[in-house]
Amino acid sequence: MNAEILSLDLTFRRKSIIGYSIGMAVYVLVVVALYPAFKDSSSLDALTADSSGVAALLGISGSLTSPTGWMNANLYANFFPLLILMLTIGYGAACIAGQEHDGHLELVMSLPFTRSRVVAQKTLCLIVQALIFAVVVLACTLIGRGFQLSIDTTDLATTTAAVMVLGIDFGLLAMVVGAATGNRGLAIGAAAAVAAASYLASSMAPLVSWLSPIRYLSLFYWSVGNNQLEHGVALGGAAVLIGTGAALAALAIHNFKRHDLS
Amino acid sequence: MTAVIQTHMLTKRYGAARGIDELDLRVDAGQVFGFLGPNGAGKSTTIRTLLDFQRASSGTAELFGLDSRRDSLTIRQRVGYVPGDLRLFDALTGAQHLDWFSRARGGHDPAVSASLIDRFSIAVDRPVRELSTGNRQKVGLLLAFMGEPELLILDEPTSGLDPLVQAEFEALVRETADRGHTIFLSSHSLDEVQRIADRVAIIRDGRLVAADTVEHLRQSAPRIMTIQFDRSVDPAVFASLPDVAKVRATDDGLTIEINGDIRPVLERALTSGLVDLTVRHADLDELFLTYYRDPDTEVAST
Repeated sequence: MNAEILSLDLTFRRKSIIGYSIGMAVYVLVVVALYPAFKDSSSLDALTADSSGVAALLGISGSLTSPTGWMNANLYANFFPLLILMLTIGYGAACIAGQEHDGHLELVMSLPFTRSRVVAQKTLCLIVQALIFAVVVLACTLIGRGFQLSIDTTDLATTTAAVMVLGIDFGLLAMVVGAATGNRGLAIGAAAAVAAASYLASSMAPLVSWLSPIRYLSLFYWSVGNNQLEHGVALGGAAVLIGTGAALAALAIHNFKRHDLS
Repeated sequence: MTAVIQTHMLTKRYGAARGIDELDLRVDAGQVFGFLGPNGAGKSTTIRTLLDFQRASSGTAELFGLDSRRDSLTIRQRVGYVPGDLRLFDALTGAQHLDWFSRARGGHDPAVSASLIDRFSIAVDRPVRELSTGNRQKVGLLLAFMGEPELLILDEPTSGLDPLVQAEFEALVRETADRGHTIFLSSHSLDEVQRIADRVAIIRDGRLVAADTVEHLRQSAPRIMTIQFDRSVDPAVFASLPDVAKVRATDDGLTIEINGDIRPVLERALTSGLVDLTVRHADLDELFLTYYRDPDTEVAST
């Protein structure tokens, strides 16, 4: 399959991918480099040891100063998902609704591309961007081994992959809304709102009993909300994340096929 | 002759608002077809439905005998398009646009693009965001014409072009049609259309009000008779005659617009103190304005 749309969109997104990646790399390197200074801090541990509320707010469970606790609290449970969501939701909303609003999509659709091929290549572009970002995070986290941050490589890699798929899923959700409405703001807003609700459902579930069953609806729970850095990503969780992505991609194609370009 | 574009009762509604209404159009191979109408009449809506950017509410459209919706991919392989509101990719140069469009279309003859670039002095080595509107429009024309498609759909293609480039564009359109390609040219400029179009359709409020050759339209245009009298004449005397559309008093006589037989007016004038008279066909301009304004004007021909 020739990939004109993929290569065109990657060209447009090059600067933002580079920017996000450099920014994230610097942040992760600082986080891992600071670990030796905090790893024996008992006062920091006391912060969460007696208060599951504080732990929930940070999106972690267990010790703050263990290698996995440190990486959860500073990266995996919050900052990494947040930034990858900004990247993916931004693209998901821009790639159809945004380009339609800017008049670019009309030019593309005057060429012999089917609508499903357009969505397929844009989905691929979304995956490539999330993958680059996730690889940067994983690589910088692995450097942490030099700073006494020893986390099981398989757990680290699968959790990173799970957060990547989480980002892809919400990017696809933005694409689904954008392909149905042609409204970029609505696409960003809807995807961000669902993501925020999912995050809260997952991180607050240990505190609020009625949230407990609801957390199973949250993609955060299946990617980072269940201390995956410590226990690895469950096969069922991976299936939920990937299955959701496949369903959303199919829905995006369905919506775009029915959509009148404005 | 084969129809390259044929629509049947093509209708597009936007909620309660009407886009186009039961449009029957036929464009034959090798024609330059002028699609005229004021802004908002439904020209772009028609084009966007032909290209499957949006779906008709009812009715059908066929291009090359293929269904505009079901066979859209095959159709778009054979069509070059310049949008009414051309938005190129700001960061790319003209040459990068050309490469990308060529790859998307599966290649083109570089000699054709080279000659177009030369002919229109197109700046292809600068990002298009640095180009003036006119120069960007020239890149748009290049992208549409370079693949030598069987059908060119051009939505207000000369907006922003200076008169010299416009003349060159008109020559290009004629040459392209002479080679057997079809050009569907939407415009609100009657001047442009009457210079290059073989046939014209006029659309107003989403409905077709006229479709004919430029020559026929000219002939069917009302006659304007300007009459001088040696006395003062009541315009009402003429307004009541058959086929008289409009009577206007001038300093020394009347100007009468006649849609049909001029003899009753002539006979009445002879008995009313006729001194001098001239008769001419209305300009296409005047005709055009009549179609735009008068909601009762009927479809002129097939």
